Amino acid sequence: MKKIFINLCFLALLLSLSSCNKWLDLKPRDGIIKDEFWKTKEDVQAAVSGMYSSMLASPPGVGGRALTEYMFMWGEIRADMVDQGPGYLTEEKDIMDVNIVESNSIVKWDAFYRTINYCNTILDFAPGAKALDPTFSTKELNAYMAEALTIRSMMYFYLVRSFKDVPLKLTSTSKDTEIKNIGKARDSVVLAQIVTDLNTAEKWAVDDYGSNALNKGRITKFAVNALQADVYLWMEKYDDCINRCVKIIESERYTFLNPTAAWYTNVFYNGSSNETIFELNYKSANISNPFYDMLRGPKRRFITTGYVASEVFAPDEDDPARTFDVRSDFFGSSDLIIYKHAQEYPAFLNWQMYRLSDIYLMLAEAENYSGSPSLALTFVEDVREARNAVDATAATIGPVDADANSVGEYILAERSREFAFEGKRWYDILRFAKRDNYSSQYEGILRGMVLRAVAPSFQQAALNKYKDVNSHYFPIHQDELFADPTLTQNPFYSK
Amino acid sequence: MMTRNFLNTICFIFLFLLAPGRFAFAQTVYVRGKVVDASDKQPVIGASVVLIDKDKRTVRGVSTDIEGNYSLPVSDKSLRLVVSYLGYETTQPITVGDRTTLNIQLKSSTKMMEEVVIRSNVKAETGTGMEIARRDMTSAISTINAKDIEDMQVASIDQALQGRLPGMDVAASSGDPGAPMQIRIRGTASINGAVDPLIVVDGMPYDLSIPSDFNFATSDENNYAQLLSIAPADIKDISVLKDAASQAVWGSRAANGVIVINTKRGAIGPPAISYNFKGSFSKQPGPVPMLNGDQYSSLILEEYYNAGRQFSSSEYAKEFQYDPNDPYNYFNYSNNTDWLNAITRTGLMNDHNFSIAGGGEKAKYRASAGYYNEVGTVRGTELSRITSRINLDYNVSNKIRFSSDISYTHSDNNSLYTSAVRNVAYNKMPNQSVYEYDIYGNPTGNYFSPIATAQGTYPGTYNPLAMAEAAGRRDIGERVIPKFALTYDILPKLLVLRSAFQADINNTKLKGFLPQIASGRPFIESSVNAADDLDGNWFTMNSNVSLGFTPNLNEKHNVISFLQFQSYDSKYTGQRLSVTNTASSYLSDPTIDGRTNFGGSAGSSFTQSRSLGLLFSTQYKYLDRYIINGLVRADGNSKFGPNHRYGVFPSVSGRWRVSGEPFMKALRKVDDLSFRASIGVVGNAPRYDYTFYNTYNNYGFSYLGTSGVYSSNMEISDLRWEKVTSTNMGIDLAMYKNKLRMTGEVYRRRTSDMFYPGLRIPGYNGYSGIDMNVGVMDNQGWEFQIDATPISKKKLRWDVNFNVSHNENLIREISRLYPRENNGKVTSNNVFKVFVQENNPFGSFYGFKYKGVYTDKNSTIALDKNGDPIIGLNGEQVYMRFAYPSINYTFQAGDAMYEDMNHDGNIDYKDIVYLGNGNPKLTGGFGSQVTYKGALRLGVYFTFRTGYDIINGTKVTTTNMSGYTNQSTAVLRRWRAEGDVTDMPRALYGTGYNWLGSDRYIEDGSFVRLKTVTASYDFSKSFSRRLGMKSLRMNVMAENLLTFTRYTGQDPEVPIKLTAFSTVQDYSTTPPIKKVTFGLTANF
Repeated sequence: MKKIFINLCFLALLLSLSSCNKWLDLKPRDGIIKDEFWKTKEDVQAAVSGMYSSMLASPPGVGGRALTEYMFMWGEIRADMVDQGPGYLTEEKDIMDVNIVESNSIVKWDAFYRTINYCNTILDFAPGAKALDPTFSTKELNAYMAEALTIRSMMYFYLVRSFKDVPLKLTSTSKDTEIKNIGKARDSVVLAQIVTDLNTAEKWAVDDYGSNALNKGRITKFAVNALQADVYLWMEKYDDCINRCVKIIESERYTFLNPTAAWYTNVFYNGSSNETIFELNYKSANISNPFYDMLRGPKRRFITTGYVASEVFAPDEDDPARTFDVRSDFFGSSDLIIYKHAQEYPAFLNWQMYRLSDIYLMLAEAENYSGSPSLALTFVEDVREARNAVDATAATIGPVDADANSVGEYILAERSREFAFEGKRWYDILRFAKRDNYSSQYEGILRGMVLRAVAPSFQQAALNKYKDVNSHYFPIHQDELFADPTLTQNPFYSK
Repeated sequence: MMTRNFLNTICFIFLFLLAPGRFAFAQTVYVRGKVVDASDKQPVIGASVVLIDKDKRTVRGVSTDIEGNYSLPVSDKSLRLVVSYLGYETTQPITVGDRTTLNIQLKSSTKMMEEVVIRSNVKAETGTGMEIARRDMTSAISTINAKDIEDMQVASIDQALQGRLPGMDVAASSGDPGAPMQIRIRGTASINGAVDPLIVVDGMPYDLSIPSDFNFATSDENNYAQLLSIAPADIKDISVLKDAASQAVWGSRAANGVIVINTKRGAIGPPAISYNFKGSFSKQPGPVPMLNGDQYSSLILEEYYNAGRQFSSSEYAKEFQYDPNDPYNYFNYSNNTDWLNAITRTGLMNDHNFSIAGGGEKAKYRASAGYYNEVGTVRGTELSRITSRINLDYNVSNKIRFSSDISYTHSDNNSLYTSAVRNVAYNKMPNQSVYEYDIYGNPTGNYFSPIATAQGTYPGTYNPLAMAEAAGRRDIGERVIPKFALTYDILPKLLVLRSAFQADINNTKLKGFLPQIASGRPFIESSVNAADDLDGNWFTMNSNVSLGFTPNLNEKHNVISFLQFQSYDSKYTGQRLSVTNTASSYLSDPTIDGRTNFGGSAGSSFTQSRSLGLLFSTQYKYLDRYIINGLVRADGNSKFGPNHRYGVFPSVSGRWRVSGEPFMKALRKVDDLSFRASIGVVGNAPRYDYTFYNTYNNYGFSYLGTSGVYSSNMEISDLRWEKVTSTNMGIDLAMYKNKLRMTGEVYRRRTSDMFYPGLRIPGYNGYSGIDMNVGVMDNQGWEFQIDATPISKKKLRWDVNFNVSHNENLIREISRLYPRENNGKVTSNNVFKVFVQENNPFGSFYGFKYKGVYTDKNSTIALDKNGDPIIGLNGEQVYMRFAYPSINYTFQAGDAMYEDMNHDGNIDYKDIVYLGNGNPKLTGGFGSQVTYKGALRLGVYFTFRTGYDIINGTKVTTTNMSGYTNQSTAVLRRWRAEGDVTDMPRALYGTGYNWLGSDRYIEDGSFVRLKTVTASYDFSKSFSRRLGMKSLRMNVMAENLLTFTRYTGQDPEVPIKLTAFSTVQDYSTTPPIKKVTFGLTANF
């Protein structure tokens, strides 16, 4: 009996050992592992949706600022339309004072590259899902790929405008062994990649998703065109820019809304209006955008500068009876609070990326610099009329004596009204300043901006810094330089 | 699955054992008889009459009826009859044979069994069940017995261990009830991973660690702890395993040391009933004295004036104007409130323990129940706990024994909503009223919680009393641990099979509520009526099976070896719900809809981890002098990917008993002198599960109606076992009939392939961190312990003991990706620099040297090396500057003066020097105990830590005079006017560099603390018998009465959390409280 027993014991032990490996192989239950994902078109759709979601808020467990918060800060706080509010952070003040150092956490680009990685993941694995799911058509796959390509391009466009040369990562990261140091790519290389990708996306993208909210909140062919126009304008390829703008206008899908008091409510508060070409839809996600605490709450970090009330939206002294410019209705001229993105808590307002007015003003800018300032002027007037702009802000340029410089200045001013606090101001100023390799007189634009925006004690230093054009771009954050030694710092900051 | 296999095995064993007895004979004969008392011949009712076989296994049994008669079927003539009854001697087995009638007379047992007394344990406990005599142990183990902790009045035994054992550092994280203790055995083996030691109770691991994805909702990890909820009265002994040779038995979870606890069990005898009571009063030691309302208000005005700001125009000026024409502000802001006093009270504790133990030859039992309640010294803190435990042992036969234990704990802990309440009370403006006055100056009795004050808003500041009393967290825990163990002597005294199975069901509910009255914020904000509720459920199964082999060779050779298989399976499920803006401050449960229960307000998680271990250990002893022990362990762990799932870890240790050598025979006084040496490796598994998968998770919201999925982590395919290699050399000496015992150890624990979670990788990968094995770290040091009994007479016994240890922590090698210095610029106030340097200990900090205060303008003139004034380019006078050119501040009279190390007239990062190190040089304790006539015992125990530096964080915040934070009375000697000579700089609101990280805040944290003073008295037998008791003991203990230290902060005992960049900072959490306890133990 004892023998039998001992044998049994060993048998049991052996059986257990052979099943050990299986027993130790545990899979998470609150997530899907990669090997089990990417099987159907629904998986791809969920990943695409996740890509959009990643722009609204950081994924659970990651923390940090939302991408839209960076879009606002990068586009606004170096420029002259926002100032520090009661709850401002030292790091933000440093950027406003052109006192930017590589340890400033606002120059962290992680949020952008996180979304880029989600795009890359879709681009890498969605074709595999098509191979497994027979109901997944090439057209559907291409539409998803177009969305990923466009969003990736949009992210790189933000990076290239903010940092100039940036690492160009076009494949996804899903495993620790895939991590390589890739260093920086020239801005021209990054822009060339954006152009190629957007051309592909333009071919594949959907015209119509069948609902208004979807057509605004996801990438359509026209959203691709809008981004293309923006990119070409940055690259000073005016014909291509004009071409894409015309495509959008000729589609006749977008119209200006009436300049009534309801204009702000329809375009911003309710969102998905006829004017909008692409927006990030917080409303449907039912999550608060990051702007209440930033702009509206008692510890708001940013307020408007006095310049916005006195000059951008100069009151019309001559004709007080006339209704005001509808665009001046989203900031407090006395308390200087910016209401545009947050009225109350929680704030579900969508983040506007491109509207029809942007297309008109980009078209105007492109026409202006390709030799047709008077034509450009008509597009500006179209926008002003649609917004009920007051005479006080009108330029005194006749169609005949229109020259590129004065019309350009006018366009820039009009953009500041149209896109106030929408994260575009700094990029607009930089685009005008750098035009024709900084040869134009618009270098003075930077000077005007500094005098308006920078605290007096820092103005002289700021002007000196801006003489080096590399200072127009952010430094790479020190953590990145540390993690990848092949990355070189923007030369302005490595002194 | 493993457990199922294991259970099947047990079933098989049972079947095989029971089978022969069942089927041997078909014919049945009965044996009948009567059981009477031998002296008065009266029938004994209810006596147990059993038939046993040759292995003493019970085959059948009955109880006698009302006339003392019994009747039993006899299936085999070789069976024997045994009769037993309480209070009688059990009969010798009587062979039944052919007899059909057997009348029995029972003799009443004359000797009553005494209470089970636990004597010092001669067997060393590694928790394996293999018994190796303590004098034959080859590895480093320290043991403490119940007797030593009997008089301690503690909620959790880890508190009792403080300072008692060398190499073990225990520090309280706070004096609040239920606050966790931080236990470190020989330092921290991991740079940033799991660092708590493994606790083994009765041979089975007892999980105290919190699962990696335990969601704390709004609570933080330091606030939450699983207490070691074993009633101290139930504990028999505690051992600490310190080197790899002993830890290897417990494998991957033992890398940070093992604490083995054994609970008391029943012993043969009539029921011994025991009741134990403890009750205590406790009081917090005095806080740092703070300014009163008047002193504070004038300080604020001075701060503003010095900073060149106008105070009267500021938004909150009316709070400082004491204007009787504005009665609302006048009454609410013209007080002298002592906020700390407002939230402090006298603590009360009472603890009742009841136990019953006894047993016979067949079965032994011990059951206990306890109730513990502690009302903390900070308002709003309370812990109550019910514990119960039953330990049963049963001898089925000579060969088979099993035991079944079950323990249950219910705990209910009320703690503060945020751990910062005490800190806020320190900082709170003293002119503010606790309760609100209305606009006519009548007290309303409501907490005064304005939306904002000059100091700011929630969460920066609030009414601390409202926060302590109205808001809170409640942590309710239920834990049931059933255990079943079976021992089978396959070949008696040669081959034994031991197996045990334990389930651990541990449920926790954490509820938190923050009412409007505590935060004071308007209803639109999420900090109002915020309720959260978290359920965490753990289910853990442990099993182990071991086969012990103890061949009986001859006198010279002795071999003990065993093969053991262990399995561990733990599941955790958590659910969380939170809402804010419930309609009323009385609706504190998140199941009621609030205004903002949208995205992310509910969540759940599930994790599971499993591990397997197979080990083989052999100990060989030759001539009682040469002992060698070898152990090989194979580990498998579900936290690793298939590539690195298994690890094999060997260890070897030896002991040479010099005293056994013939040449030592002459030294009669020496009982034992041995040298020990061991080397071994233990593998450590990472903290997180499933990291080797690339996992996709859901966003908590949908985008345009479609839910989104994102890749939440990278696949970590390259994570390997962290290896802790320990080398240990020890010496044991026992002399004068064991009256003097000494143990010394020298060790090095080398952690290689050290884990580091979240190591920074380039952000362009889409992730910012990755878990990696990054480097090599050493913990090295020595320990020494001496126990002596200088007097051991019948009337008087005197014991003394002393232990001391030293540990240092050195980085030997580290990844390039690991940051070398902490974040933060030294040019900002209150920033100390910390560097990671190879071959240097952790915990060193760097900063400026503080030289006092510039008394006047002349003293700010910059001087060169020779003490001559530095002259500028244009021949002008140069004054001392700060951080030229980036900040370029010129020092003014009244500013803090820092040493200009390089004499360049500029204070900047070049003037930073080494300021101190937070690692204690020596830690330990010593005590003495006198026993008079075996009845009266007096004891004292001291603990100490020496040679470490603390950053006095409270001093930083209470003397910076740079904001609205209330300051200590030390600032009354601040610089006010040109020519003042003082060491306290001027008040300066929101600007200046008066509180840079400097040696001004570094203090020597060395202390010797009179930890306990105890007195106990055993009443005489005759006295207690008159009260109907077998014995009665009373004791009194005083804790934390005296602390000898030069530290000027509240208390130098600060938990040392050594990660690479941590510094030891003291922010005056609830200090160890002064406590007097009265205790009573009665045995029936």
